[in-house]
Amino acid sequence: MAIQIPATKEVLAALMRADFTTVWRNRRSLRLVLAVPLIILISWKGLVNHLGGFVVLSSVLTIGLTSIGLMGYTNSIARDRDKGVFQRLRVAPVSTWTIMFSRISVQVVLIAVMTLLVFTIGYAVDGIHISALGYLTGFVMTLLAGCLYLGLGQLITGLIKNPETVNSTTRLVYFAFIMVGMFGQFGVLGTVLKGFVTWSPYGVVQKALAGSLQPLSWTMDHSLALLGIVAYTVIFVGLGVKYFKWDNK
Amino acid sequence: MITTDASLILDVNQISVYYGQFQAVKDVSFNVRPGEIFGLLGPNGAGKTSTLSAIEGLLKPHSGSITVAGYDIVKEPLQAKANMGVQLQSTSYQPELTITDILRLFAGIYGVKLTSPEITKMLEDIQLQDAVGKKFGQLSGGQQQRVSLLISTIHNPVLVMLDEPTTGLDPQSRRQLWERIEAIREQGHAVLLTTHSMEEAEAVCDRIAIIDHGRIIAIDTPERLINLHREDPEVISVSRKGKITLEDVFIGLTGRAVRS
Repeated sequence: MAIQIPATKEVLAALMRADFTTVWRNRRSLRLVLAVPLIILISWKGLVNHLGGFVVLSSVLTIGLTSIGLMGYTNSIARDRDKGVFQRLRVAPVSTWTIMFSRISVQVVLIAVMTLLVFTIGYAVDGIHISALGYLTGFVMTLLAGCLYLGLGQLITGLIKNPETVNSTTRLVYFAFIMVGMFGQFGVLGTVLKGFVTWSPYGVVQKALAGSLQPLSWTMDHSLALLGIVAYTVIFVGLGVKYFKWDNK
Repeated sequence: MITTDASLILDVNQISVYYGQFQAVKDVSFNVRPGEIFGLLGPNGAGKTSTLSAIEGLLKPHSGSITVAGYDIVKEPLQAKANMGVQLQSTSYQPELTITDILRLFAGIYGVKLTSPEITKMLEDIQLQDAVGKKFGQLSGGQQQRVSLLISTIHNPVLVMLDEPTTGLDPQSRRQLWERIEAIREQGHAVLLTTHSMEEAEAVCDRIAIIDHGRIIAIDTPERLINLHREDPEVISVSRKGKITLEDVFIGLTGRAVRS
């Protein structure tokens, strides 16, 4: 007697349980991914009055998103593809979208956790107080902006197959984003680079996040930054999905 | 005209597979019946893995059709995959997951409800009751193969596909795996396996197909293939101890040249 295909929700539940377990068992790497933005947040305590709480929070959240998207998601996808984990799943009655949906869900939860930690430590340690509406719109914007970095990670795994090359590329991009983005946004690297950074994936995320944390002061610049996030996300995800291969052959 | 016999568990009908301009599989046809162990043999690069990948739905054949339990792998991939269990040549699972986690994952994927005592019982059946909390990478090669076979049969599929299942196993583990494969046949299910071991093909396969340069060049029972080709000069010339074996027939038909 022929076997019927299992319900999508059962398949998704099984995949998500395994993916969350995988992240949980990788707590050391999880702590490192979450530690970077929190260390920067705490060390920038003295800059809150100078830069403004919104700029500090949005910059730290942007670094956290880069950290999760590039160091977490991208490397886990590259590793599992190389090890044949995806091939084993693909010979089972599993749609490819459920495999990716499960993986991305885990990252979205991580982004939510990172955002809440940044808000909490920003409030408790750095004394950054914003409105309840600001926290809410900032939280939603962080999830939206996270798509940009997950899309960038998808693009890197689409263009590069070797997991070690993916690893070194993500570290390089991560370093460039943090160093050039952080120093560039404050004009330390010159006005030309400041303009470049403003409209880079780092800059649009940072600006849109800063705007979302103070929604009553939202300007056209913030709207353009939000448009930039959408545009980058569409390009990265589109190319990432187009070039992504499920195996390394 | 393509026809599908409903009594067949697997029906591969004139499939061709291309990689760019290179044709890896050329009009391959064969079928597997209920209660049959079917072996697909061939030298390296002959087209075995490409044929298997097409059946598993990992790549789309350029032409021809494949049905599993009556479901077309291209048109109804999920239904076809639900009816097959697959053990890939180099299976890997997330290294962070324990054997229990992996069993729960695949049980969920195949829609099978498993309780903890049932998992323990399954692991006892394959003499791995101590492996409950172990990671897949901590198991020996033979233990990994047993777990992989357990996972590929967790939903009691009508077709089990095994890609070189005994490679690297010691004789004891290999014999044990053969018994497990034969047990699947005794349940009336079908097995399609690829192997480089002619001893294995002779020992467990009811029928075999020899594939070379993307084409099936012989298909029959091991005994009949030996009888059919025992007078071939090529086969006699490669025979080592006067007695014609399946390996002699295989080398006689596919040539002595070492394939990369």
